[in-house]
Amino acid sequence: MVLEATMICVDNSEWMRNGDYSPSRFQAQSDAVSLICGAKTQSNPENTVGVLTMAAKGVRVLATPTSDLGKILACMHGLEIGGQMNLAAGIQVAQLALKHRQNKKQQQRIIVFAGSPVKHEKKMLELIGRKLKKNSVALDIVNFGEEDEGKTEKLEALLAAVNNNDSSHMVHVPPGPNALSDVLISTPIFTGDGEGGSGFAAAAAAASAGGVSGYDFGVDPNLDPELALALRVSMEEERARQEAAAKKAAEDASKQEKGGGQHAISQDATMTENKTNDLDDESALLQQALAMSMDDPEVSHDVRDTDMSEAATDDPELALALQMSVADSAKDSASQTDVSKLLADQSFVSSVLASLPGVDPNDSSVKDLLASMQSQSDQKNEEERPNEEEEK
Amino acid sequence: MACLHDHSCEDHDCSSDWSLYKHIDLSKISALNEATPGSVKSVFKAWEHRLNSSGEHLESNEGDPELLVFIPFTSDVKIKSISIVGGPDGTSPSKMRAFINRDGIDFSDAQSMQAIQEWDLAENMQGVLEYQTRYSKFQSVGNITLHFPDNFGGDITKIHYIGLKGEATQLKRDVVATIVYELMPNPSDHKTRAESGGGLSHVG
Repeated sequence: MVLEATMICVDNSEWMRNGDYSPSRFQAQSDAVSLICGAKTQSNPENTVGVLTMAAKGVRVLATPTSDLGKILACMHGLEIGGQMNLAAGIQVAQLALKHRQNKKQQQRIIVFAGSPVKHEKKMLELIGRKLKKNSVALDIVNFGEEDEGKTEKLEALLAAVNNNDSSHMVHVPPGPNALSDVLISTPIFTGDGEGGSGFAAAAAAASAGGVSGYDFGVDPNLDPELALALRVSMEEERARQEAAAKKAAEDASKQEKGGGQHAISQDATMTENKTNDLDDESALLQQALAMSMDDPEVSHDVRDTDMSEAATDDPELALALQMSVADSAKDSASQTDVSKLLADQSFVSSVLASLPGVDPNDSSVKDLLASMQSQSDQKNEEERPNEEEEK
Repeated sequence: MACLHDHSCEDHDCSSDWSLYKHIDLSKISALNEATPGSVKSVFKAWEHRLNSSGEHLESNEGDPELLVFIPFTSDVKIKSISIVGGPDGTSPSKMRAFINRDGIDFSDAQSMQAIQEWDLAENMQGVLEYQTRYSKFQSVGNITLHFPDNFGGDITKIHYIGLKGEATQLKRDVVATIVYELMPNPSDHKTRAESGGGLSHVG
């Protein structure tokens, strides 16, 4: 929660066209800049962030230190790439911009993205570093992009000259599959000097730790929150319905308590299996979710048609009530028919049982239960069919 | 403008004169170009301990003798004179420039601005030298910034003690202690007298 004014020096030289960081070095840099701005303003609402460019038309201050995130994101948009980076001038202009910050109580910090070769002499950089240290300005360097011989050495000399009590850091990001912003999140640039990370950084880290293909439903909650929410809600509804079904099954027969749980779990297993198959296809997944929520009326539809078609047309409320009461038992039968087939497959059942904590598939009592369950489910099916015929 | 104590300190308690350090807002002291962050707080102590060089002291960075010390007070003070005890072997500061009631001065500001008063310092190892101020200019000091641009030839500048003599008034500067920020007006926070049942005149 340090009160800080930060100036970010963006490298928009020709070297930033390269694609070794996805999608391009410049894009990766922009993402990192927006992430840093967000983290700084979240950790302390009075923090201010400013941006300047070091290449193209020369060193230009795009935004003086401000706490308005929108302004900074807007000025990052539409930046041109070109020319060569002027590191020394960039740092000096950043220092000047910080000197004229509105709130003198803020600590001064400069964050430099050094993506292209450094053409200045080491002595000059050390001189600049000492001047920064004298005015108690901290410096963070993000070393990425071009791997010039001597570049790392010069930047380390600069860091050593500036560093006062470990308030300045340097991060080296090699090209790779991880995004630049993801790598930066875990560095002291985000987490501050041992504060343990702001909430923003922690949340962002958790989101990215989910991995590119490891999200709950194959959908990034940040990219498409509505879809993710819809999927999550339908999954929870399905789970709730299955719990109700399991409870109903447990009430029906004495020993079915354990079996009902297994029904629900194996049902769950089929559902999730289907889901994982379609995980890559978003629209198919949405269809699945919709289909599952439709499942309930579909199932009850059949029963209603066979049992109470006349009653339905006359009294919709009565039909609704009947439908709801039948839905449970209908689901039961539906689930039982599905499940009985599954139960026939002994290997599947044993694998499901093995995944249950505290259940040993080789236990004799479990095996007995399985056998009794199968016979019971067959019995139930036979019972229900004559029932339906009678009601007709 | 130095003057020496010409009385023995037994029958006059000097320490009570140099008690302005009690009115310094220690949490907000800052210094630029100090080697150890936070070491500046150690130079403000009682008169008796001014020669005590065993503890922490203020040092500048290697190869750079400039120092800038920002001293805020808890209330406005009047400063009569200043005493500086430096380090040995040329590490004592040789010049001192003072700025009054200016926030956030850094080295480039200090070098370009006109100081309110400047002194040439002598090596004051025994702590008996004090430098008088133009008292009329130091009447209501909320904060003072001391700039030491040079020393007596040492690689770094060391200061063991900064003493301030004067008196404190009870006047305080910016007392904006509790502010309630409102993003939107909240009528319940702004009850008028009529609504809360006060006031002399009632209608009806």
